[in-house]
Amino acid sequence: MMKKLFLLLIPFALFANIKIAVSYPYIGELTKKIAKDNVDIITLAKGNWDPHFVVPRPSLISKVRNADALIMNGGQLEIGWLPPLLERAGNPKVQVGGEGFLNLFDFIQPLEKPIVVDRSCGDVHPDGNPHYNLDPKNILLLADKIKTFLTILDFKNKQRYEQNYASFSQIWKKKIQEWKEKMASKKGLKVLQYHTNMAYFINAYGLQSIGTIEPLPGVPPSSKHTMKLIQLIKKEKPYAILHDVYHAPKTAKFIASKTGIKILTMPHDVGALENIDSLEALFDYLVGSMQ
Amino acid sequence: MKKILTVSFVASTLLMADTSLDLLKEQVEKQQQMIEILLQKIETMELKNSLQTSKKQKELDKEHTSTSTKSKAFTQSSFLPDISLIGDISYVSRNIKDAELTHLELPGVAHSIMGTHAHDGDSHAPYNADKGFNLNYAELGLSKSVDQNFKLNSIFHFSQNSVEIEELYFTTGILGHGVQLKGGRFNSDFGYHNNQHHHAWNFADNALVYEAFLGMHGINEKGAQLQWTAPTDTYLMIGAEVLQGENEQMFGNSAIHLSDLNSTNSDIGASNAPSMYIGYVKSSFDIGNTTILSGISYATGAARIDHSSDEEEAHAVTGKSKLYGADLTIKHFFDSYSFLTWQSEYLQREIEGTKYSIDDTSKAATASTLKKEQAGVYTQLIYAPNKHWKMGARYDTIFKNTINLNEGQDSFNKYSAMLEYNTSEFTKLRIQYNLNKALYDEDGKRRDINSVILQANFAIGAHGAHSF
Repeated sequence: MMKKLFLLLIPFALFANIKIAVSYPYIGELTKKIAKDNVDIITLAKGNWDPHFVVPRPSLISKVRNADALIMNGGQLEIGWLPPLLERAGNPKVQVGGEGFLNLFDFIQPLEKPIVVDRSCGDVHPDGNPHYNLDPKNILLLADKIKTFLTILDFKNKQRYEQNYASFSQIWKKKIQEWKEKMASKKGLKVLQYHTNMAYFINAYGLQSIGTIEPLPGVPPSSKHTMKLIQLIKKEKPYAILHDVYHAPKTAKFIASKTGIKILTMPHDVGALENIDSLEALFDYLVGSMQ
Repeated sequence: MKKILTVSFVASTLLMADTSLDLLKEQVEKQQQMIEILLQKIETMELKNSLQTSKKQKELDKEHTSTSTKSKAFTQSSFLPDISLIGDISYVSRNIKDAELTHLELPGVAHSIMGTHAHDGDSHAPYNADKGFNLNYAELGLSKSVDQNFKLNSIFHFSQNSVEIEELYFTTGILGHGVQLKGGRFNSDFGYHNNQHHHAWNFADNALVYEAFLGMHGINEKGAQLQWTAPTDTYLMIGAEVLQGENEQMFGNSAIHLSDLNSTNSDIGASNAPSMYIGYVKSSFDIGNTTILSGISYATGAARIDHSSDEEEAHAVTGKSKLYGADLTIKHFFDSYSFLTWQSEYLQREIEGTKYSIDDTSKAATASTLKKEQAGVYTQLIYAPNKHWKMGARYDTIFKNTINLNEGQDSFNKYSAMLEYNTSEFTKLRIQYNLNKALYDEDGKRRDINSVILQANFAIGAHGAHSF
């Protein structure tokens, strides 16, 4: 009798995975590398849309409400949309400072931390540039922190997490080396961006950013600023415009038609372009498009 | 002899040992388990510490780079609450004089809902009340976690010459299981539009049915709120509120002293407080990039309407009010910035009780039974082609106005169109045109009002969250 009951309970035990909500797809991919099938990932934002502007749909409240843990990017990238979801979810587990809350920004060294914080400088991030996921070394660092976080949440699977992390880090280190070799000849290359969301990639490979199409963060291109950029491009002869996938490429195309500069569409997250289905694919694509 | 003794002793101990050995084994096993649990706890603690120290290491690195760490021994600035200030100003052009406007009404539904009215003692100046320039408000918001359990939110609403605590409430999710508790003074989550502040509206003025039934504040009350989000994939939220009941348009519980007007009048006594109860169910789901949100709401409570000292048609009402609401919002996103929203809400109210009509000269009150049934709708379409532009149209109507089973005036319509330019998330510049065919003068003649409103709304300080 007991045995039968026990058999009945098994399926529940099998499905009782930890549910981890993540703000962006890359965090979900990374968590899956370490957790494999031990957790269910609930991704809140879409990879092909502007990470600053995620619509706080009511369905996301349900997702946060049902999660056992939450891993976010931080650096105020989620400031416009995640707080109201957390407030309405009624889930103490995932609140800031709670057992199941992890802010990845806590562990990375930010670039471009502004000295003056004022909205007349546009939509600035007071803690520094939050698009740090585009430096592959940061991915490795965060994998380690996510491993620790998962172990705290689910100690009985400690060894699995250790093993998964070890094999991921081995592969990833090789990939870092491979990308480094491919990008070695690009050192010092001048580039432009639309928004500074490629800053960490640029920094990782010693590229040089000489300007952005938006005159200030979050402010749309102006004709005056665009004219200045055209002059700058003619003088400095940069390699390309590294354009994100979510802003309209209209101004970039105009600049290209005046100067002949290349426009490279650079995905910022897993899912940003159709064929970017993994972290490896993301960096392969970024490095590949620079060749 | 010795041998026998030894053998029997050994045999008996062996027998004894069999049972005590089992006990011992069990105990050792238990202890081993305990040790394992403790080790696990220690290791988890160590892991937590390692996460914390890597955070601290980052802080230290930061401090090395900043030079002025001196004299910070007692600074409390990191505990400052999130502060935001929203300012709203407008320029209004209208085909009707301000003085005339305040006397217009929706017969049987609402009195003087537009323009400045000095007689109701309202400290909250109406929006876009006067022709020419208007300082609509400055709204100061302060919010912060109080401790690990509570968060405090407050909104101070400043008019040119006065200030009121529009909202001050705590929230807590400590109960878990999707339960959220709120208490203090707040905008009720009745319907869709009610809990939105003016700066979040898509038009410079209120929806007609809300303004006429509930006044410019909507349901803004002292009370407590309990909401529960279901553990389902589809969003389902059930909420209940107990409110004090202080809405001048249709809810209230305080005494009305009609004897002050004429000593032969009897007073309307106060009813128990709190006197207002609200319940609602909301649900939402996504189909691709389209989100559908709908809800039904119900409010009930004691009614006290005091117009006893009005210049014309002075009266007072005591009884019971009911308000039914149904809302539907469909929002489609084309990309991160561009969307199309269709938002509609239906409100129906019933007021049943006694009406005391006060004679103009003798001020004597005459009682009669009153039963009102009124209903209205607003529906609006908003299109945002990108982050910076928004345009929209709204149709407002009150189409049912039954008073004591007689059909009253029921032709109340209003048409609005607006164009909005946002230089950033924090600046809103808007031009709105209204054709108001809902207001009537004392002779029962409809006065069509054309108005153009130029509105500027600015937000500084803490980043407000985007609402759905």
